Amino acid sequence: MKNRFIFKKILLLIVSVMISFSCVKDTDFDQTDSLVLTPIVEVNLVEIQEPADTFLDDFGVEVLNISDLIVFDVFSSDFVDENLLKAELVYEVTNTLNKAFEFKMEFYDLSKTLQHTISFNIENSPTNKPLVSEHTEVFDTSSLEALKQSSTLDITITLMSSPTGSVLTTASKGMIALKSKGVFYLQLSE
Amino acid sequence: MRWLLFLGFFVSLQAQNKQILYGFKEVPQQILLNPGAQIDYKGYIGVPLLSHIHFNAGVTGFSAFDIFADDGRDFNQKIQDVVYDMDSKDFFGFNQQLDLFSAGFRFKSSSEKTFFISFGLYQESDVFFYFPKDYAVLALEGNYNNLNRRFNLGDLSVSAEVSSVFHVGINKKINSKWTVGLRGKIYSSIVQASSTENYGSFTTVEGTSNFLTHRIDLDMKLQTSGLSFATDSTATNQVDVLKSRLLLGGNLGVGIDVGFTHEPSPEWTIDASLQDLGFINYSKDVQNYEVNGYLEYEGIQSVFPPIASDQTAQEYWDEVNDDFEDLFKVDSTTTAYIKWRPLKLNTSVSYNFGKKNNKECNCLDKSDPTFQNRVGAHLFALKRPNHLQWALSAFYYRKLFKGLQLKTTYTVDTYSSKNVGLGMSAALGPVQFYIMADNLLDYQNVAKSQSVSLQLGFNYIFKNNED
Repeated sequence: MKNRFIFKKILLLIVSVMISFSCVKDTDFDQTDSLVLTPIVEVNLVEIQEPADTFLDDFGVEVLNISDLIVFDVFSSDFVDENLLKAELVYEVTNTLNKAFEFKMEFYDLSKTLQHTISFNIENSPTNKPLVSEHTEVFDTSSLEALKQSSTLDITITLMSSPTGSVLTTASKGMIALKSKGVFYLQLSE
Repeated sequence: MRWLLFLGFFVSLQAQNKQILYGFKEVPQQILLNPGAQIDYKGYIGVPLLSHIHFNAGVTGFSAFDIFADDGRDFNQKIQDVVYDMDSKDFFGFNQQLDLFSAGFRFKSSSEKTFFISFGLYQESDVFFYFPKDYAVLALEGNYNNLNRRFNLGDLSVSAEVSSVFHVGINKKINSKWTVGLRGKIYSSIVQASSTENYGSFTTVEGTSNFLTHRIDLDMKLQTSGLSFATDSTATNQVDVLKSRLLLGGNLGVGIDVGFTHEPSPEWTIDASLQDLGFINYSKDVQNYEVNGYLEYEGIQSVFPPIASDQTAQEYWDEVNDDFEDLFKVDSTTTAYIKWRPLKLNTSVSYNFGKKNNKECNCLDKSDPTFQNRVGAHLFALKRPNHLQWALSAFYYRKLFKGLQLKTTYTVDTYSSKNVGLGMSAALGPVQFYIMADNLLDYQNVAKSQSVSLQLGFNYIFKNNED
């Protein structure tokens, strides 16, 4: 009988010690509400490699410009709309043609309204040495909103005359090459 | 979300190891850990639903305190620190068991040899996943500034299962030195999902004709069984399905436990057991998902219309789109699969000492000729998908009275190197109660704990006549 009493006491002691000493101190579990991830994603975009031929018509005569059109739905998706904080489009053009150009990228929305234009000029390379030029277009605030509206990209390369430039023929050496990538600053939160 | 984190981090108990229960002679449930354990009573009946309640889980690499400490530091900075601190071998584990019924009795064969038969049905839940380090880094940083870094998509390894286990064991004391035992098990898997055989990578390297080349290599698999009941129309149907699966109506498997106890001398004891040497064949209600493919993406080539190929940038874009869709296309199959049970090893060596001296205390009418103390070392190992989980314990067992025994353990394992556990078995007449918990040092602030474990239960014991 005495033993039983001791068991109860010990049991009570163990349980009460465990309860009274077990606690969660100095913590704030509400902090998860502020979980924010900010990855930066880098993705290749358009590449172009065009020799002199591309800028000539069937008779071997220079055209005014060449253009191409891409319809896409990436920028107008809900994910981009909610999470894209900032974007940079990085272009690098290498020109070995003795011809100056103007590059123009026009972003249109679904109703074919022009939302944003990127344009830059490329100098001619008189000795056909690679002439590298770079252009970075930053999209934030209003330009970012314009990008998010866009669903069509119209790329136009216009031939420009310059003091040292020549007229392109089928015999013209060199080519014009464009690399491009997008750097997207995302903000993912609950 | 908050409660999920709370459950995952705070209730982080140590998975599967029952170092306090192992070898605790007075608690009948110890024979589930070693079918060849010593049994000093005629029989027992576990109080239904209350004979063994076991709950434990663990997390390596960090504790809730690292993230939720109210120290004014930026929450996202703390998350980052934890992510960079952990690696893909860190894991989260959770295990829970509940005895539905259990009992055991000693029988005498015709040749006057005795053996002990025990049986029961318990329900078990097990969740285990490795920390997907590369996914976490990719989510934190993205691929920018990570040129040439290979993000290993094989870091994803998750498994979860709820099952019931029906078991029958036989235990035989061959002579004064050897006791051996064997337990047969029938597993019935109620629900199971696992994605443990994943391979693949995502790498961004410098490109040739464009800035970058993105390489995506995927070979990933998710296997599930028994999940369709969740989409069943009515709640009562769902309960019926779960009930039938609990009673061996799920995906079935078989397995055995083996074990022995060897006493080379009265003072020394060596014992060992292997648990869950078996498998489950998942053939009913199976749904598997697979993603397979390789893609190298350099960008969209803009080819202006006059050129001979006749391909426009739009066509390139569409092609790229199709390639990506193909890459991430999920193939779904219902092929049956087999999974081995997580194999467990327990072994210990111990030394008994301190018999009660009856002559000095004649006032006690009943003597106890057994040793009052026991010290020893115990090793536990568990085979996980990608590694072997282990724990090494030193223990001290003390018989305070005939009806009260204590055992304390000090454990070193993957979770912690200062895990102190305490267990108690108390008998009031034939009713026996036990409770065991570990990581007691962390009870001062559970948030700092990486694992805690708790087992408790009630049994009705039929003692030997000589008691």
